[in-house]
Amino acid sequence: IILHNYILTLFTFQLGHFPLKYFTSFFVSHMYLHSPRAGAKPRFTDAAVQDVLSRITGLDLQKVFRPIKQELKPPTYKLMTDEQLEQAIQVATEEAKKQLQMPPVLPERKPINDVLAVDKILDGMDTAKYVFTDITYNIPHRERFIVVREPDGTLRKATWEERDRFVQVYFPKQGRKLTPHVLFKEENLKTVFSQDRHEDVLNLCLVQFEPDSADYIRVHEATYEDLEKNGKYNLLRSTRHFGGLAWYLVNARRVDGLIVDMLRRDMLQDAISLVSLFYMVHPHSESAQEAAGQQATGTDLLKVRTTQSGYIDLALQAYEEKAAEGSAS
Amino acid sequence: MVLFNYHAGYVVIRLALAGHKQANRPFYRIVAAYNKRSRDGKYIEQLGSFDPLPNIYNEKLVSFNFDRIKYWIGCGAHTSKPVAKLLGLSGFFPLHPMTVTEAERRRAQAKLAETATGTEEEKQADV
Repeated sequence: IILHNYILTLFTFQLGHFPLKYFTSFFVSHMYLHSPRAGAKPRFTDAAVQDVLSRITGLDLQKVFRPIKQELKPPTYKLMTDEQLEQAIQVATEEAKKQLQMPPVLPERKPINDVLAVDKILDGMDTAKYVFTDITYNIPHRERFIVVREPDGTLRKATWEERDRFVQVYFPKQGRKLTPHVLFKEENLKTVFSQDRHEDVLNLCLVQFEPDSADYIRVHEATYEDLEKNGKYNLLRSTRHFGGLAWYLVNARRVDGLIVDMLRRDMLQDAISLVSLFYMVHPHSESAQEAAGQQATGTDLLKVRTTQSGYIDLALQAYEEKAAEGSAS
Repeated sequence: MVLFNYHAGYVVIRLALAGHKQANRPFYRIVAAYNKRSRDGKYIEQLGSFDPLPNIYNEKLVSFNFDRIKYWIGCGAHTSKPVAKLLGLSGFFPLHPMTVTEAERRRAQAKLAETATGTEEEKQADV
């Protein structure tokens, strides 16, 4: 039956096209994996950090390829030998890895306040602003000239929000709207979080906003805060947003909840890699220096951490008891 | 060799009214066309658009394909007055003198209107 399930899910994926909505051109090209500079703070794009984050994201094929709202097509069944099935699973894992590519985490963009010309002679020339966009096809949207002539004669560059709007007018991206969805207001976010639909919110946010815009960062932070408050880490587990969540928690130094959750689900390796990531990013914290001093690896890393909070201690004990029971029985 | 595209006229960059089946909703295309062609007829290339009615944010959207405009001007195209004014406002051309004159005229009008309302208010206050 499990074999049938795999075949079913594989073929509903291969035959039904994945909705283009959730693929932006950012992520189809590979994100650069930087090598770390010596002594500098590790960034999101470092190869080592990305490695750890992709490992703890996990690869649950059943969740990645779960049925999405598409046109209804009847499923096809194929008869395969074991080898063919393995090959098909490999192809599926490749596709899953592509779909689990993490969206970029960038610092918030600085506002544009550039005034190109001040023409006082033009004061009162018209009641409306004139917005001039350059439609040349092969320039990146970030370098496009979008310029506003105010009614009092000043010629200034357009602000980031205006830029996003006009680029969407002249070069529309599928799924993006001119005015953002009502969902992104605070009250509506709360309702959606109570329905456990964090992943949908994050997908919508990805499509709608640029990764370095204030709205994107605000929505992501609200989602991560809510997830951390309620401990619902499993909702994002095999999705592309898990890396972002882990990175946010590591930078905010609130990894305890996540470690406890991982230990409860018997994911010891993930917990260890998460703690090592924490030490990579904060090499000057007490536990990091202790660990470096003792040169701990594996479960010892976690035990070093327990000096800070009793929760992880208890969780580790529970895990070890379960492991002992499992090996005994 | 047979020359297919010989035209006695010259190329102009001008505004062509689009969607003229819709009454009371103008929308212009900035277009490179031969001089003698009809205003809304066959053009060589579309170089942009102009929406004369302001949107909800009180903006009039103008788009220019500067790369191709540079090409056509390099080929010896002339610009019509409205296009020259728009390009001047955008900063691509120097400011058109009529834009300045219009701005001055508007300011004069506004001042007249102010003094007119000012005297009316005085009269009402007196009464």
